[in-house]
Amino acid sequence: MILNLVLMAMILVLLIPIYEAWQDDDIWQKMLAFASIATKTSIMILVVAVLRDDWMIGVVGVIILSVGNAGLMLLAHVLKRMNQV
Amino acid sequence: MINFLSYLCIGVGIVFWFWGTFPLMGDRSVLFKLHSLSVADTLGSMSIIVGLLLKIPSEWPLLILALISLAIWNTVLGYVLAYCSSSDEDSHE
Repeated sequence: MILNLVLMAMILVLLIPIYEAWQDDDIWQKMLAFASIATKTSIMILVVAVLRDDWMIGVVGVIILSVGNAGLMLLAHVLKRMNQV
Repeated sequence: MINFLSYLCIGVGIVFWFWGTFPLMGDRSVLFKLHSLSVADTLGSMSIIVGLLLKIPSEWPLLILALISLAIWNTVLGYVLAYCSSSDEDSHE
């Protein structure tokens, strides 16, 4: 019951970076919002895993946490190179 | 008691999330937003995971792995984003 409320509050927080990524044109602000969305959704996946007591979902959340951020770093470097050209 | 403690941790984490995410909508510089966002996101998420860990201690290996990857990757990502976004004008190439 309380975890349901927690999940609703998390969805509410998640709307802020989604709005920011949608309305801002600066690429770094967008990247920042996307990094925030990635962290928040993976934590939400972990909460859902505890809520449903299903640890296959939890494994997915942890993989996103550890690999997704690395992808964002690579993307930031590619963007920097593109801006330099 | 443990139940209350876990909900307290999760509540603190969500307060951190709100507190760090609201500056995202203002007109400040990228570095200001990056600082508040990375600090509050990392600490809040770690607090939420500690709350979940108190709730279901039997699955600790997975949650500890999540804690460690959060602590390491989020700080490194903060540094990389700051480095890439700020060195546009004084690049050495």
